[in-house]
Amino acid sequence: MRLTETKPDQEGKITAIGGDPHFISRITSIGITESTPFQTVKNDKKMPVLVYLRETLIALNRKDAERIEVTVNE
Amino acid sequence: MSKRIALLGQPNSGKSTVYNALTGSRQHVGNWPGKTVEKNEGTYTYNGETFAVIDLPGSYGLSGNSDEEVITTDYIRGGQADLTVVLVDASQLERSMFMLAEFAELNKPAILLLNMMDVAGSMGKTVNDKLLSERLGIPVLPFVAAENKDYEKLKELIQQELRSPHCLKSVPVSEDKKDYKAKYQWISEVLDGVTDSTHKKYVLSKGDKRLLSPVLGKFLCLGIVLLGFLVAMIVCVPFMGIGSMIPGILNQPIANLLNGLHVHPWLVSIFSLLIPNTLYFCISMAAFVFGVNLVFGYLEEIGFLARAAYQFDSILSKLGLQGKAVCPLLMGFGCTIGGASGTRVMDNWGQRMLAMAIVWAVPCGSIWSVMPVVANMVFSPVETILVCLGILVYVFIMAWIVSKVFGKSLAPVESRTGMIMELPPYHKAHWKHILKEALLKAVDIFKRALTTVFLVSLLFWAFSYSSSGLLEDSLLYKVGTFIEPVTKFFGMSWRTFMAFLSSAFAKEAVLGVLNAVFTGQNSLVNVTFNAKTTATDTMALAAAYSSMISKPETLAFIFASSFNIPCVMALSTTYRESHSLKWTARVALFYFGCALLLASVVYHVTALFL
Repeated sequence: MRLTETKPDQEGKITAIGGDPHFISRITSIGITESTPFQTVKNDKKMPVLVYLRETLIALNRKDAERIEVTVNE
Repeated sequence: MSKRIALLGQPNSGKSTVYNALTGSRQHVGNWPGKTVEKNEGTYTYNGETFAVIDLPGSYGLSGNSDEEVITTDYIRGGQADLTVVLVDASQLERSMFMLAEFAELNKPAILLLNMMDVAGSMGKTVNDKLLSERLGIPVLPFVAAENKDYEKLKELIQQELRSPHCLKSVPVSEDKKDYKAKYQWISEVLDGVTDSTHKKYVLSKGDKRLLSPVLGKFLCLGIVLLGFLVAMIVCVPFMGIGSMIPGILNQPIANLLNGLHVHPWLVSIFSLLIPNTLYFCISMAAFVFGVNLVFGYLEEIGFLARAAYQFDSILSKLGLQGKAVCPLLMGFGCTIGGASGTRVMDNWGQRMLAMAIVWAVPCGSIWSVMPVVANMVFSPVETILVCLGILVYVFIMAWIVSKVFGKSLAPVESRTGMIMELPPYHKAHWKHILKEALLKAVDIFKRALTTVFLVSLLFWAFSYSSSGLLEDSLLYKVGTFIEPVTKFFGMSWRTFMAFLSSAFAKEAVLGVLNAVFTGQNSLVNVTFNAKTTATDTMALAAAYSSMISKPETLAFIFASSFNIPCVMALSTTYRESHSLKWTARVALFYFGCALLLASVVYHVTALFL
């Protein structure tokens, strides 16, 4: 599923990141990489997604968040 | 030649605080050769030795292909720095170590600065700096950017390392520079046992729950910013008050002195009117910049601005910007100069230039202090409030127009970068540093404003000077009345048109010019340049003004002046920040044209009703 489809407090792992090299470089340097464990903190309509990973709370605009594939823990 | 120390770190690592604290006012801003990227260099002296400090540009990493990243990589690889100080945020060590992982392959002497140890401590995190230093093979210095004694330690360490430098002994093993996995793998190996990395669930604090909620949060954000401006005004009003008294105080003594020496009347006029008035404008601009930077420095440091960016990201992305632009745009309500330099938070040049162009549409504190006075001369208090609301509504329209006109070429849709930013934990504010930085910025703008304001004043003075002291003998009157048939089309008589022109110079000048061209009781030069500040008698002005000017013309004038080029210093700051004469000129011409067009629309439409 996409990161934008996760619910608050759901935890999981990032499985794939799509997009051009520039985007990948931007998103990786802030700490979002494949197989990084994450927790969705807030995901409101028309608002950036808030995720917690690598001890950091990150706000990610929706368009970019849609390019991130994740699996959530059961 | 002095040894060069380069500072490298991610946003929020406290790099600029350390840079400013080390170099103080001994800073130089230039350009990296052939690039539109700012080069910040400064110096400091320790134990009789002078060191050059270079604040390296860039954002989160080095392997992207942005100008900043290429400059920084080339600089370090070329060995231009004798030592690189890599800053990391100790409270988010794993993530911020990425910069060190990127730096590692360059194999140059370095020290690691564990900044924000106080924040890490307050979150219950510990860092074993000795173990980390052992593994990395370079010195690791725990640091609190607000502690003066830590800078002593840093300076001592730098001097020592320049004599016997260390390079990283452990580096990520990766196939190519884009092998991010290997870098994070290396980080977790290096940090194993160094930090306590037990995974905890993140719970939003009560305050954050409110501040980040979609509707209530936006109102809270705006409320906090409004409160901030109130504080900023309280801070800078005394300075502006003192500044505004300067022309009145200095005028007579200087004039008497020079007249006694039988100096040419021109020189008397320049020294007794122009220079004191230049001082007044510069102090007033510096006070605005100081107040705005004080408040926004505070709001940024405690972590509020990142929340505001989150709140307004969707709205701003409709303008081709992104959440981070919220800070410069809000700063614009205080001071356009501050807003224009505040666009530095944006990492994409096109979006940054677009943000500056939009900041121009935001009416600054000066406009809010001048325009209600003008409106009140012909309108009732209720109508005046409506006029102010009208200005506020037009801000959104103008922002939209600017984004439509310049958005496509400055920030083509495919090149726009969306907001990816961290929401830092709430920090305690380090007032001393906020004050110092706001003061540095105010002093900087004051120094730069002196020449610019003086030269433009000189031009205006030449236009309004008349040897007889009569309005009709000035060049301003002759030119003004000559072009009146044209200005009439825009709804403005020559008088209001001249005041409109002066609004592109400084909004503070508008009242003076109006007073000069309407009352005519004093010499034009005297009133325009505030020789008798107390004599800017708004009652008398209002009486003269309302008998000559209609309501539609006043409205046309108010709107045109509010959305004109903000002021000469905003113009020069935009050029300095964008490094593009072409774009600065384009935006300026566009604003000037739009203001005239707006005036004519406002005039002809309201003339039907009023």
